[in-house]
Amino acid sequence: MIGLLLCLPAALILGLGFVWPVLLLARISFNRTTDMGAMEQAWTLDTYAKIVTDDFTWDLAWNTVTLSAGCAAAAVALALPVTLLIRSADPRWRGLLALLAVAPLLVSGTARVVGWMAILGDQGMINALLTGLGIASDPVRLINNLTGVRIGLTESLMPYCCLVLIAGLSRLDSRLEEAAATLGATRSRTFLRVTLPLAAPALLAAFLLAFVLGVSAFVTPRLMGGGRVFVVATEIFDMALETVDWPAAAALAMLLLGALVLAMVLRGVTAGREAPR
Amino acid sequence: MRRTLLAAVASLALALPASAQDGGRMTLQAYAGIFRDNYTQTVVAPFTAARGTAVQYFDGGTSAQMLGALRAQRADPQIDVVIMDVTTAAIACAEGLVEKIDASTLPVIADVDEQGRQAGGECGPAVTYDHLVMVYDSRAVTPAPTSLAAMWAPEHRGRVALSAPPNIQGLALTAILAHANGGNWRNLNAAMPRLRELAPSVQTFDPNPDGYTLILNDQVRFATGWNARAQLYSDQSQGRIGVTLPQEGTVFQINTINLVANAKNRAQGLAFMAHALSPEAQAAFTERMFYGPTNSRAQVSAAALSRTALAPEFRSRVIPLDWSEMVRLRDSWNQRWRREVIAAASR
Repeated sequence: MIGLLLCLPAALILGLGFVWPVLLLARISFNRTTDMGAMEQAWTLDTYAKIVTDDFTWDLAWNTVTLSAGCAAAAVALALPVTLLIRSADPRWRGLLALLAVAPLLVSGTARVVGWMAILGDQGMINALLTGLGIASDPVRLINNLTGVRIGLTESLMPYCCLVLIAGLSRLDSRLEEAAATLGATRSRTFLRVTLPLAAPALLAAFLLAFVLGVSAFVTPRLMGGGRVFVVATEIFDMALETVDWPAAAALAMLLLGALVLAMVLRGVTAGREAPR
Repeated sequence: MRRTLLAAVASLALALPASAQDGGRMTLQAYAGIFRDNYTQTVVAPFTAARGTAVQYFDGGTSAQMLGALRAQRADPQIDVVIMDVTTAAIACAEGLVEKIDASTLPVIADVDEQGRQAGGECGPAVTYDHLVMVYDSRAVTPAPTSLAAMWAPEHRGRVALSAPPNIQGLALTAILAHANGGNWRNLNAAMPRLRELAPSVQTFDPNPDGYTLILNDQVRFATGWNARAQLYSDQSQGRIGVTLPQEGTVFQINTINLVANAKNRAQGLAFMAHALSPEAQAAFTERMFYGPTNSRAQVSAAALSRTALAPEFRSRVIPLDWSEMVRLRDSWNQRWRREVIAAASR
């Protein structure tokens, strides 16, 4: 009973700040938009039907999933060595190193994207280096395209992966690795046959978190895509704030939310089956 | 303690501007940034000084965001007057978010030119005219270009920033090219070949934060923009940003001024609208920010008028685009841009 009471404030905040707005969004998604853009109160599935039957929606979904999955995998791959380094460091320094790994989260995501735009732009540090060393005669296009979005999104997801992996790997029993070494396994073999399998649940959790964040990412594709990278979040923005088609924006947002919830539920069911009994 | 509190309250009351006590107050929702700065100085402040009405200026962001605020506040409006672009205002009018209004309620409407009266339909009339221009880096592009064709020049490949549809600048550019290549702004097929040719030269189809900044940062040499802001940024950059009304023509971007339905301060709102549409306020804002006046009686200097599309030498270049018709074409144009123009730029 006390436990339930203690949960009440959080439940109220969640209800008012998430559930209620989502219900409002769901309601708007059943409205109708007239030819000239006005929103009419209705209970219709027309907007959903239009979205689902539009080829461009499926292109968007494919773009979003492949971009997020690729960037999530890259972020996990880059975060893993950092986390292993932190794990093997002197315990006195682990806290500080962990803080450094997640320090980018202390800076606003938009500010980091703007920083990347300055670094990767035609007049930026990378292009100055490439042209200065004679590697490229003209600036290489690193922003306003998919490359820029991949770089920015991977960097923005990395700290989250570090957080999950630091927590996950800290629970690994280092005596298992010591035992492998005692039995003659090389460091790489120990890593591949002992550390990595033990870290798999943490790696999967980090990937899932990064994937979900990537699917709903808006700032990076918008600011670094140069209008060439179309993902679900940027399309929702355009529908809501350029064409003012709120029912379409709401319906697409609900479909995205539904897909993510379904993915998480499936993951939960799979994890439940895999769990040792 | 009680005496201290009373003294504090009395001081606060004295500190309030007299205007807030005499002529009531009202809330205006309009664009932020340099629009707000200049509109406050040339239109809002004189109104407050003359009537004693305190005006709270609420930064509305884009017109779509302002529409969002109006929709959210439908049951309890916190805004009295809103300035927004004509297509979004038409939506607000159709949804009953702003009042239908005519010269019997607001006599100054009779002085608004015919286009300005028609633009607002049954709701608020046009309050400013702006138009699409080409902006360029005057240091890198010489001689000053007079035609949009300059953006197609091979030496500027990769140095062009365009706003693709559904952004209205992209729609406006497409309409201008369609008109220039066949005389009918609605004929998208006439514009598409030219846009596909230009696509590889385009560095970004979504300039952030805007084309002017990208030019000043040496990122691009050409962009499209709206005249009023372009003229102001040109002055602020000591001419680094050049502004051209292209010989292919231009289209108006019209802002209308509207009274919010069930406004709490309706009388003050109407008074403000009358002031904003008056010849004096219209002329003052044109002199400051180069938006074309909609009041036909506004007396604007020749120097300021020459930097608007209402100058006699430019009037013939204005293509009579009907934005309410454009709204119906927007989705198909957007799709064609994505499939044929942006895709061509990505190859």
